[in-house]
Amino acid sequence: IRYIVVMPKLKIIEIIELFYPSDGRGGVYEDLKWKALLCCELPFAQTLDDGLSEHPPVGQCQLLNATKPEFSSKSPTLSGNCLDILCWLEGERTNLICNAKSHRAAAAASLLTVRPQLVVQMNVLSDEANHAAQCAGEDTAMCSISLHGNDATVSLNISISLNGSTALSPKMQVSTHNLRRPEPPINLHYDVTTEGEVIFRWSDAQPNSDAINYEIRYASNSSLQQWEVVKVKGRSWVSLNELSSGIRYMVQVCCQSHINYWSEWSQPFYFTLDVSYIPAEIFTTPGSEVTVYAVFHNRSWSASKAVWMLNGQVKIPESQYRVIDEQVSAVTVTVDEPGFDTLMCCHQWGERFKCIIAYAKIYTEGMFNADITCQSKNSEVDTMSCEWNKSAWAQVRLLYRQYTSMCETISEMAGSEEAEENMECPSGAGDHRECTLKNLSLFSCYKIWLEVEGGRGKVRSFPVYVAPIDYVKPSPPSVLEATTLPNKTLSVSWRRPHLPVYDMQYELHFVALRGMANTQWKVIGPLLEPQAEIQLEESCVQFKVEVRCRRLNGSGYWSDWSMSYTSVVYNRKAPEMGPDFWRAIQEDPVRSVTNVTLIIKQPVLAGDPYSCVEGLVIEHQASGRAMWSNETTLAQFYSFPWRKEAHTVTVMSRNALGISTRNRNMTLLHQPKRRCVRSFSAVANSSCVYLSWSLLSDHSVPQSFVIEWLDLKKDPEQDMSLTERLQWVRVQSASRDLSLCRRFYGSEEFTLYPVFVDGEGEPVRCTATRGDPAAYILLLIIAFLSVVLFVTLLMSQNQMRKLMWKDVPNPNNCSWAKGMDFRQIDTIENLFPHSEGLTACPLLLVSESICEVEIIEKTHPVTLELEKDNEVPIYKSGDKTTTDSALLADSSEPLSLEASTAAATPETSGQSSVTYSTVLLSHQPSLLRKQPGGLWDLENHVCSDSANPRHSSSYNSVEEFSETSDQDYEASESTGVAKDLYYLEVNEEEEEEDEEEIEETQSEQENNEMVMKEDTRALLEGKNSTAVASNVSHSIPLYLPQFRTECINPP
Amino acid sequence: MYFPALLYPCILGMLSLVHGIPIHPDNLKNLVKLQADTIILRIKDYNDKLKLYPKLLIGDPELYPEIPADKTIQGLGSIVDTLTTFQKVLQRLPKGHVSQIRSDLSTLLDYLKERMTSMHCTSKEPANGRSLDAFLEDNATHHITVGYLALDRLKQFMQKLIVNLDQLKSC
Repeated sequence: IRYIVVMPKLKIIEIIELFYPSDGRGGVYEDLKWKALLCCELPFAQTLDDGLSEHPPVGQCQLLNATKPEFSSKSPTLSGNCLDILCWLEGERTNLICNAKSHRAAAAASLLTVRPQLVVQMNVLSDEANHAAQCAGEDTAMCSISLHGNDATVSLNISISLNGSTALSPKMQVSTHNLRRPEPPINLHYDVTTEGEVIFRWSDAQPNSDAINYEIRYASNSSLQQWEVVKVKGRSWVSLNELSSGIRYMVQVCCQSHINYWSEWSQPFYFTLDVSYIPAEIFTTPGSEVTVYAVFHNRSWSASKAVWMLNGQVKIPESQYRVIDEQVSAVTVTVDEPGFDTLMCCHQWGERFKCIIAYAKIYTEGMFNADITCQSKNSEVDTMSCEWNKSAWAQVRLLYRQYTSMCETISEMAGSEEAEENMECPSGAGDHRECTLKNLSLFSCYKIWLEVEGGRGKVRSFPVYVAPIDYVKPSPPSVLEATTLPNKTLSVSWRRPHLPVYDMQYELHFVALRGMANTQWKVIGPLLEPQAEIQLEESCVQFKVEVRCRRLNGSGYWSDWSMSYTSVVYNRKAPEMGPDFWRAIQEDPVRSVTNVTLIIKQPVLAGDPYSCVEGLVIEHQASGRAMWSNETTLAQFYSFPWRKEAHTVTVMSRNALGISTRNRNMTLLHQPKRRCVRSFSAVANSSCVYLSWSLLSDHSVPQSFVIEWLDLKKDPEQDMSLTERLQWVRVQSASRDLSLCRRFYGSEEFTLYPVFVDGEGEPVRCTATRGDPAAYILLLIIAFLSVVLFVTLLMSQNQMRKLMWKDVPNPNNCSWAKGMDFRQIDTIENLFPHSEGLTACPLLLVSESICEVEIIEKTHPVTLELEKDNEVPIYKSGDKTTTDSALLADSSEPLSLEASTAAATPETSGQSSVTYSTVLLSHQPSLLRKQPGGLWDLENHVCSDSANPRHSSSYNSVEEFSETSDQDYEASESTGVAKDLYYLEVNEEEEEEDEEEIEETQSEQENNEMVMKEDTRALLEGKNSTAVASNVSHSIPLYLPQFRTECINPP
Repeated sequence: MYFPALLYPCILGMLSLVHGIPIHPDNLKNLVKLQADTIILRIKDYNDKLKLYPKLLIGDPELYPEIPADKTIQGLGSIVDTLTTFQKVLQRLPKGHVSQIRSDLSTLLDYLKERMTSMHCTSKEPANGRSLDAFLEDNATHHITVGYLALDRLKQFMQKLIVNLDQLKSC
């Protein structure tokens, strides 16, 4: 059969044809049956009548071709002694049935003639099972042999007898394997390659199957009538590439055996293609790189939009992705810790990531920390509950092993496992995070660990070694008793749990039941005895007490707190006095009910420790009705409805031994009240309110007074009811004033109620007036200080301005301005007729805003000789580079100009800064040599003729208004040339002041003044200057930086 | 007092009658609402423990039709049908935290089935039994996401059930 499988098709068919008729020793397999035709020659006449022969004559039998029965029909001698033999299987391979039937039987039935009977005897023997069966019959025989579900080769022997003569058949063999259909293939599954190809695979049902042909059919679940069929020869896989994603397919396979029997269709296999992971499960070690491929079967999903998620929680950086092709994405990750992780490849869909339910699993071998904690309960000492942490994605099983030695010893020899078998948590593998182990020994040691399901035992947690005795949580103590004694002692006792038997320590906590809003438990412990006596600050208080316990020495857990127990207050007699109380009356307009709330002052607890108050009794007496009473605990408030009839309320104290005898009562009346107060006034200072009142003389004196007010500290918005905000104080009848010292806001309204025996008098109200002016004084002081500060700031600002803009240089002293009529210059081009001057040093950008300044030089009457002009070129040519660089160096300082820009230099163009220009007159040029900063050294200046002090040089200093300029200023002052430094300023007011000064100078030097004034106006005239408005040129004159020097030659 | 021996059988008989009385429709509505609210909260706790990336969308509503998504509620029959499907899914999930939800769902199903019996409603077999089995078998290894998806859809169905409690009155 193996040979057939590997043979080419045509050869197979030939071999099958060869095998077909001769298989089974004379018979043929057809329609799941084995057929044979056996014909025998029997000596007829002799054996029938005389019977003299000792040895019956023996005939001969031969097997004929069962598929070609013409031979038997042609031989009438044989035809009567021929047998049709038929074998088939019954049931599920349990029985083989063979039937032999003579042709004579059929003929006898048709001819109705009496003929001697043919006796057929059949022996059936199963070779493998060694079972045999015998059967006999006249003309026909049927045998059945049990096969016990296994395939077998069955031998068949037939003997026929007729009139004493017998014939034996040759040995016939039937293979039951060929009497059944082949089993349909099993283990249908599919793989996906990293190229996205879907390979469908199956296995033969039996290892030595002789299946040679297969047929695969598949259809979508919704169209099961339209099968796609694929035929496969000689291999048990097929590539299916025409499948669509998102569709649920059903696939079935059948096979054909070498004798052309087709199997049934296999069990259906369902699958949906969406995203396939290759591999779907990975085993790795910590720190190793893992690459997983994802194939998008959905053609609308692109690998370029793949998003990989680790454990569905963390987006893996895109740098770790690779796009293999349009439908295949890959990711490479490194898992550092042992454990279980998942990878999901999702598809970006707007802001979200669409994912399907499949994911790849990564098992990182090693031990992870699961934080296993166990606790055994005293009530069930053989039971221990363990909890752990794990990945939400992992299925785990908890395993444990019992040791008879101490845990410390076992931990030390970890690794040398004994032969004991592992036991498992009864709940088995799953999504658990806890397990309860039962039937444990309290004093044994247990090793407990987790194993990740599917991790082949290689992914597990660190084990913990636990002796249940060390992790017992005992039952809480019981039979708790507590008594509050008169000597300010709380006496508590309890009973410890019986098990475990080790020594216990206890902890007790208690809280006073009075004033429940402030429930601060006080803890006492550790206590070694099951009783305690606690000193209290006051007696007569009930306490809620709870106790817990744990092992004294060694580890373990605290038990739960015991059941609460309320202490009993020890009393010898009933209380003597009832509490004082007042009332708040509130109308409920919705329900048309008037509610009265009694505001009860707490009884004095420290009064008599032997007659403690445990509760109150409120006794009511309404007019015309019977008396009734209610019992309450020690409450601060008690409310009841009032029908606006005369209603008397008495509040009494009570304890277990009785109620108080001296009690205060109150009568509520609805009718008009009598007036008895003449005046009521209140004066408040910072901490106290002084209240005073007087009574009308012709009225009876009340029993007492009650003064009430609302506490404004308590916010009515925060569920503060009126009764909780209401404050009151009772005053004896003889008093006519009261001083209340506490925090008041000053706007409280006080109400004085005279209280008579038979009810209240008419109340009187007043609002406290504050006599304390401290706040107003403080306010005045602050206002005064603010004004002082403001004035100081103003003055200091003016002073600063004066300091900054003290001197303004005069551009007319600039050398480059020689011979220029500034009034005639409209634009910068006119100002610089020589283009090379601008190109050499493009200091000013046209687009920049311009500040206009007028400078009038305070000049001496200078007469400069024309021949001195010759010196200027010498200076320029001889030191031009130096000059330019010096200028640039100067101007390289950051510039600043208030509110505008001016005198732009290459370095400063584009900046907004304040600049100023310094105009120097060279009265004493030699002194300038020592000036620091941006001033030029005039030592080499050719035209600085010391013999002619009227020679002057003007320098433009373009500097930041900064420390450097300050230094310049100070330096110039120190050298006595401060009066010759003038700074351009933009302040118009200041400019006017300067103009006045300039006018004084003008009166002294009339000749030069006219010239300079005209020149100056043309170049530096302020745009809005009123003093020179008549002479303003049409365009905005420019204030230009000094970039050339020249001796001034007055005309 | 006179026949105390007869009184006890009477009381016991009345108690047995009370046990047999079907739940009043309004009581059933309350019970169903309480149980559904409980299931919703348990599902929220369970799915929150996964701490999934907020942008993740596991399983479009049009995907995995084997698990009911956005099923219409038309009477008790449809509710029981859908819940039975969910119960099947939960039974295939691993043991663990989902056990409690499965138990709650089982209780809810019992209420509804009892109501169906008392109303003489005919029950039918769930339509997609085979494909559901096959789906669960295929995805048995992806139980976390299957559980997440199923519980999310069950939560939505519970929310829908709470606002359609009147459907409990019809078969």
